[in-house]
Amino acid sequence: MNAWTQGFPAEHCPEHHTPSHGWSSSHIIVTFRPQREMFLARSIAADHKDLIHDVSYDFHGRRMATCSSDQSVKVWDKSENGEWICTANWKTHSGSVWRVTWAHPEFGQVLASCSFDRTAAVWEEIVGESSDKQRGLRHWIKRTTLVDSRTSVTDVKFAPKHMGLMLTTCSADGVVRIYEAPDVMNLSQWSLQHEISCKLSSSCISWNPSSSRVHPPMIAVGSDDSSAVYSGKVQIYEYIDHTRKYAKAETLMTVTDPVHDLAFAPNLGRSFHVLAIATKDVRIFKLIPMRRDATHSSTPTKLEIQVLAQFDNHNSQVWRVSWNITSTLLASSGDDGCVRLWKANYMDNWKCTAILRGDGIPVNCSHDVVSQQSLLTASSAERF
Amino acid sequence: MEKMSRVTTALGSSSISGRTMFCHLDAPANAISVCRDATQVVVAGRNIFKIYALEEEQFVEKLNLRVGRKPSLNFSCADVMWHQMEENLLATAATNGAVVTWNLGKPSRNKQEQLFTEHKRTVNKVCFHPTEVYMLLSGSQDGYMKCFDLRKKESVSTFSGQSESVRDVQFSMKDYFTFAASFENGNVQLWDIRRPDRYERMFTAHTGPVFCCDWHPDDRGWLATGGRDKMVKVWDMTTNRAKEIFCVQTIASVARVKWRPERKWHLATCSMMVDHNIYVWDVRRPFIPFATFEEHKDVTTGIVWRHQHDPHFLLSGSKDSTLYQHMFKDASRPVDRANPEGLCFGLFGDLAFAAKESLISGDASRKPYPGGDRRYPIFFFKKPNPTEQFAHVSSALSVFESSVESRHMDWLVKTARLYLLSGKPFAELCDHNAKVAKELNRPQVSTTWTMLRIMFSDPANLSTPGPNHIGKLGTLPLMNSFSMKEMGTGLVAEGRLERSKGESRQDNLHLEPGNSLINSNNDENEETEGSEGQAEYMFGDAELDDDDLYSMEHENHAAEEQEYTLPQEAFPLRHEIMDNPSAPEHLQQDKADSPHASGNEAEVMCLTPIESFSLISISQPLFSPHLPAQFFCPVVREMLIHYAEQGDVQMAVSVLIVLGDRIRKEIDDLTQEHWYTSYIDLLQRLELWNVSNEVIKLSTCSAITCLNQTSTTLHVNCSNCKRPMSNRGWICDRCHQCASVCAVCHHVVKGLFVWCQGCSHGGHLEHVMNWLKSSSHCPAGCGHLCEYT
Repeated sequence: MNAWTQGFPAEHCPEHHTPSHGWSSSHIIVTFRPQREMFLARSIAADHKDLIHDVSYDFHGRRMATCSSDQSVKVWDKSENGEWICTANWKTHSGSVWRVTWAHPEFGQVLASCSFDRTAAVWEEIVGESSDKQRGLRHWIKRTTLVDSRTSVTDVKFAPKHMGLMLTTCSADGVVRIYEAPDVMNLSQWSLQHEISCKLSSSCISWNPSSSRVHPPMIAVGSDDSSAVYSGKVQIYEYIDHTRKYAKAETLMTVTDPVHDLAFAPNLGRSFHVLAIATKDVRIFKLIPMRRDATHSSTPTKLEIQVLAQFDNHNSQVWRVSWNITSTLLASSGDDGCVRLWKANYMDNWKCTAILRGDGIPVNCSHDVVSQQSLLTASSAERF
Repeated sequence: MEKMSRVTTALGSSSISGRTMFCHLDAPANAISVCRDATQVVVAGRNIFKIYALEEEQFVEKLNLRVGRKPSLNFSCADVMWHQMEENLLATAATNGAVVTWNLGKPSRNKQEQLFTEHKRTVNKVCFHPTEVYMLLSGSQDGYMKCFDLRKKESVSTFSGQSESVRDVQFSMKDYFTFAASFENGNVQLWDIRRPDRYERMFTAHTGPVFCCDWHPDDRGWLATGGRDKMVKVWDMTTNRAKEIFCVQTIASVARVKWRPERKWHLATCSMMVDHNIYVWDVRRPFIPFATFEEHKDVTTGIVWRHQHDPHFLLSGSKDSTLYQHMFKDASRPVDRANPEGLCFGLFGDLAFAAKESLISGDASRKPYPGGDRRYPIFFFKKPNPTEQFAHVSSALSVFESSVESRHMDWLVKTARLYLLSGKPFAELCDHNAKVAKELNRPQVSTTWTMLRIMFSDPANLSTPGPNHIGKLGTLPLMNSFSMKEMGTGLVAEGRLERSKGESRQDNLHLEPGNSLINSNNDENEETEGSEGQAEYMFGDAELDDDDLYSMEHENHAAEEQEYTLPQEAFPLRHEIMDNPSAPEHLQQDKADSPHASGNEAEVMCLTPIESFSLISISQPLFSPHLPAQFFCPVVREMLIHYAEQGDVQMAVSVLIVLGDRIRKEIDDLTQEHWYTSYIDLLQRLELWNVSNEVIKLSTCSAITCLNQTSTTLHVNCSNCKRPMSNRGWICDRCHQCASVCAVCHHVVKGLFVWCQGCSHGGHLEHVMNWLKSSSHCPAGCGHLCEYT
């Protein structure tokens, strides 16, 4: 058990957070918090044998999947008292597993993973069909392996639910593939619907989650290609109803450094889209679809692009970005080993509101103090 | 440091330098081998047998050993080996089963020296003894291994593996007499060269063929084997039983494996199919390659380290007819692109974070030498060995849980649960929702609800005669300009109200609120006659206002009082946020007064918005007798859009539902649908199924209401003949009787049907309940004592 962290104002330590239960493999630490945002760091003995590359919550936030270079995926379930318990652990690929992602629960308990071994796989949890007693009532079985890529599959994402059961992969040779399961009850049959060639080695993809019929399906692809120095590393593709193909709507030319992750913010009825990008800094873009006539539906929507924010506080490569469900908070993590939370005030000014360390030690570097100051001002803003 | 090692290790010959380079071959290569001093390389294949000199910048063809107009099959090589002691001596394994030795010192064009045609099938491998000049070993597809003394015409001994094909033979570095052989059935055998009758040891190394094996160059008794099962295994052969000490999982069957010189833990592999890359693995980290060479366009068939003491150059030949020299520093490092962190936001604001442990604890380890410290010359700064860093990695996984009192999503869930969207008069809904928002510490939202109530429950009229119309137009642009300036649209309306209040206040202060309302009611009565469509609403609202009026006059409703205090509490905030220079001063007075106000006064005070509003309607009879509800629609529309763009789709949808027809036409259907779907999705994520269902039910978009009906099928059976009913109505096709008739009133029940589980008679819930008050027998007269639970 870690003690209370130093430099923490005494009045900010509520009694009930004192670590009291004896769970040996985990400890609870209260990390730095600005005023009302208090985080308990619960460290979990993940017991992966190599790097963990991705963590993913399911739709309802009760399950978590981790994937690692040790070629396995683990599924964690939250118990009544809030502990995360590993309920499944199996070897998924014959190479590093880069990403793991959950399908919408409407389609069942379904995971997709992608790997260095050039494949992506779809897994489904089966309850009580196995005769094998050791595996227990629940176990995960492989429904399909997608083998179309000739290089490492770097990202896998399910499309938004309203599009049906669709899966997208991107690979190191710059090809984005969109698969569809025509029958949602049959997860072993996937047909390759689209192949988009991005020319640049792709590292990450993100679907625009908007369910509006005004917004055609849109996908953003990030590249970590370091050989093409001056080209834009984020491409945005849009589905054209007329040609039934995806066409490039935009390239973010200002992003020229390798992109490691990108994420569209939950749309929540907005008319525009917000895209967060993890490159050598954190960037937030606003993409405003311009009005267009129905007659020009054979070309992609024109997008007006605004930079909402750009932060280099990580002072290093940023590896991951993630939005909360109301898209009011953006979390980013970088090579500095910190997670930073970003929040906009009512003026659309984005500020850092918290810095979290993976081991729970509060951050006390000088430049961080500055951002702590600024977050105090930010937190007086109206909270949505 | 690396440069130094290169010079010292390469002392035996000239020092090695060069770059990544390649040359085209005439034909696909099957195997390559390098001479001892690393200056020349031999490439052998089905249609090629050449020697290239390795120069600084390029490969230079030195010699073509494939001579004669019609080369014999002896030239078709499966394997080649350059003797490591005798620099003129080469051996090849031919696909026709011949083992050939070549002497480069021969003056003639044909350098062939000896030919052994003892194997019956393809020879897969030839291997010279590392220290014995004349000893050559071969392994063939026919399952035999043969040992040749190059001074003799025939093999000196034959070893029978007593199994399928031999894929590889390798003399041990450690033990003079020992060699290892790998087989297609997955076994590895160890032989003593002096005992051809029986192998010393045998163990199963892989499932499926073992394509290759390689002894560790450092004399450790380690043997690496690679198989079709995509694995590379490292065996410790010094113990009695071969012990697997490392296992590397690659992504394709392993064709060749070669330990890297001078690097204890590294080995290079290439694959037999699918995968064209060459990987260098650190066996301690068996999951991710340490380095990758990705130049080849087809399967790599031969790999060899250029010099036995130089780890920086690797030569490779491929089916794509190229010969490459790879420089290690040009290799791609998959681990550099592999992302060391995972991050995901949970539903309730939890953050799951996995990171490489060295990143997290990075600061702690750097502490002794802070970045700015220049007391120690950089030279002494002990840099951790990159290969050591590579080998020892692990990730820490932690979940940051937002603590109970600041749960991010709590307000969203609570608001969704507590909001009332229907079932009560409009004003009550607004008041209730305002209260909910207030309690959840969201004053702006609360104020918005209050404003909505004021705007739309005011007994306003719809049809305004000509002159009034002008007045209305006059105020509209003013309002719009405000809404552009102000940030919170909820405040826009307030600001505007205060303004109009300021204008109208002076001359109307003497008026009682009661009077004003009565007046307005009169006005309304006069004018609603003309309008038909909205009359219903207007009437209902007017009634409400009367209620308000009464409760205010009697001032004894505790519940109402509570409600009325809401707007008052919302007041101070207005000023803080708004910072509007033109805000009327009297409001600050109000604010200052309110704490001292007695109960009665406070009540009047808090009603200011209502009061002032009704005041407007009376004080400006010349321009417009009332501000019609429609008047606010543009403002409200803008407000809803503002909320939606801010990401508070909950507010947008809730207001949309509560206002219903008052606002619906103002907002285009697609936008509404978008809001609904977004909000419903959010609710379902939070597992608020009831709320989500209510929203679906109350929505007016056809696309949304049908959500509840998808994949729902209702099967109805006739209660008389028990057959499935057609969908034609309430009469059964077959027995031509009405199904589900109420036993009490004998009419068809459409809606709630209650029936006794004992006799299956029943009917309208209300009728049956009434019946049961008087009798406990079945109303159908079947004599059953019915029980309803």
